[in-house]
Amino acid sequence: MTGPDPTEAPPIEDGMHDGPPPKRTLMTRMRAEPLLPEAGAGGAPLTAVIAVISFLAVLAMAAVLIINTAASEWTSTLRSEITVQIKGVDADEIAMRTDAAMRVLESTEGVVEASLISQSEAAALLEPWLGQGNAAAFLNVPAIIEVKVAPALRNDLDLLRNRLAAAAPGAALDDHASWHDRLATAARSGQALAFAVFLIVMGAACAISVFAARAGLAANREIVSVLHLVGATDDFIAAEVQRRFFILGLRGAVVGLMAALLALGLAALAMRAGVGADSFLPQFTLGGWLILWLLAVPAVTCFVTALTARLTVLRALQEQY
Amino acid sequence: MIVEFEKAGLAYGGEPETLSDISMQLREGEFRFLTGPSGAGKTSLLKMIYLAHRPTRGKFSLFGEDAMNAQREALPALRRRIGVVFQEFRLLDHLTAFDNVALPMKVAGINQNQYREDVSELLNWVGLGHRMEAKPPTLSGGEKQRVALARALVSKPDLILADEPTGNVDPAMSERIMKLFVELNKLGAAVIVATHDLHLVQSLGKPVLRISDGRLTRSSSLGGQA
Repeated sequence: MTGPDPTEAPPIEDGMHDGPPPKRTLMTRMRAEPLLPEAGAGGAPLTAVIAVISFLAVLAMAAVLIINTAASEWTSTLRSEITVQIKGVDADEIAMRTDAAMRVLESTEGVVEASLISQSEAAALLEPWLGQGNAAAFLNVPAIIEVKVAPALRNDLDLLRNRLAAAAPGAALDDHASWHDRLATAARSGQALAFAVFLIVMGAACAISVFAARAGLAANREIVSVLHLVGATDDFIAAEVQRRFFILGLRGAVVGLMAALLALGLAALAMRAGVGADSFLPQFTLGGWLILWLLAVPAVTCFVTALTARLTVLRALQEQY
Repeated sequence: MIVEFEKAGLAYGGEPETLSDISMQLREGEFRFLTGPSGAGKTSLLKMIYLAHRPTRGKFSLFGEDAMNAQREALPALRRRIGVVFQEFRLLDHLTAFDNVALPMKVAGINQNQYREDVSELLNWVGLGHRMEAKPPTLSGGEKQRVALARALVSKPDLILADEPTGNVDPAMSERIMKLFVELNKLGAAVIVATHDLHLVQSLGKPVLRISDGRLTRSSSLGGQA
């Protein structure tokens, strides 16, 4: 911009219009017309696809979070409890050994609570396999003590195990390690699967952005050419496309988020209403960190969509112009 | 030196050369008409100068820089020093006249507050102050031509290229536009105007580049006042 100021030359007048020109209104001055028209970037169809992608992404992320919470609850319960099972040749021996074991437990530092499960409760646990009343009649049902322990004791049960064996021969201490490991593995697998779904959905967002950005570029070929010829850099054009895709992505992502939150809310209500009140399945509520994490999903979707479009356009411009 | 070609050639794809052995120079403050029959290569030559295409052989420098081998990233800065009035206007239909004229400023990253007055003044100057908010489909051919002219001039370019700038306006307006280019040339811009209108060329008496079958045949003046 080092050339002459054209307005220093005599003006061009066609003689057809007199009087002062109309001023630009505040609205027209403030309005930033996009350099790439809305129709060229896919518009409503792209918004709809992003909404579906966002919906699935939010559900996948919710699954990751809910499984994580449930696994933490399960393993935390298992890690804070141990079970002592006491066998004997008859009920008297079991009772005697149980008393000895209870004394050991009550005198052990780190034992928070020790509860003896009654014979009838223990027999009831066997009823599904043996039938009602048969357990007590035909079996010498072992005594079971549920023990809540502090973390320090949980990490080193050998001494307690030895003391119990000395005081109550036939006492077996179960630290639930095998259950804990199996649950942890199952939870990790579930989380990995849900996260893989999330990544696949994000991959779909990338793919649709690539397709739409290339289609938009082809539809706006003349505009892009003019922008180049008046001095636009590839970065400038890519930024215009990125802005456009960010807006489309945001619209779609918000719609998808709302739909997913509605679906999750209904699922939470259904579970709380009785489908699984006593169920082993995790309970969840929409609130706190879960909501915050889920709100991040549309932001990630927008970011992925816009960034993919930008990179696609930069590459396409290098190839085509 | 503003433009310099030395034995430059241009071929599209694997086709025979559209332009061959182009050698010419345009210095600061010079004015050239570019004439020749339709299909002779006038537009192709201008396209090479405004970097829509680069020569496929020979040498080409723009504003003293080797434009033939310049990196892609260097081209926008060179293009911003050129104002082009395209034969088909090439206005963006979804933008207003104001936004079309402001386009070179926007792509240069200039804030609207800084160019708003300049663009308004320029549109008034080309007699379209009352049509700032109109979009190109609603403009007449002559109005589009003047919007295209304003867009070419808004960034105060060092080099002005015009491809048949009087093709869509009446004779009186043609004369005014041509005189405008002469005035801008007097103010310091180098100018190349491609035109069929030999009457206008003769009346202004500026040097003429003739092109025929893709070759510059001679450079001369067609008489009139120099």
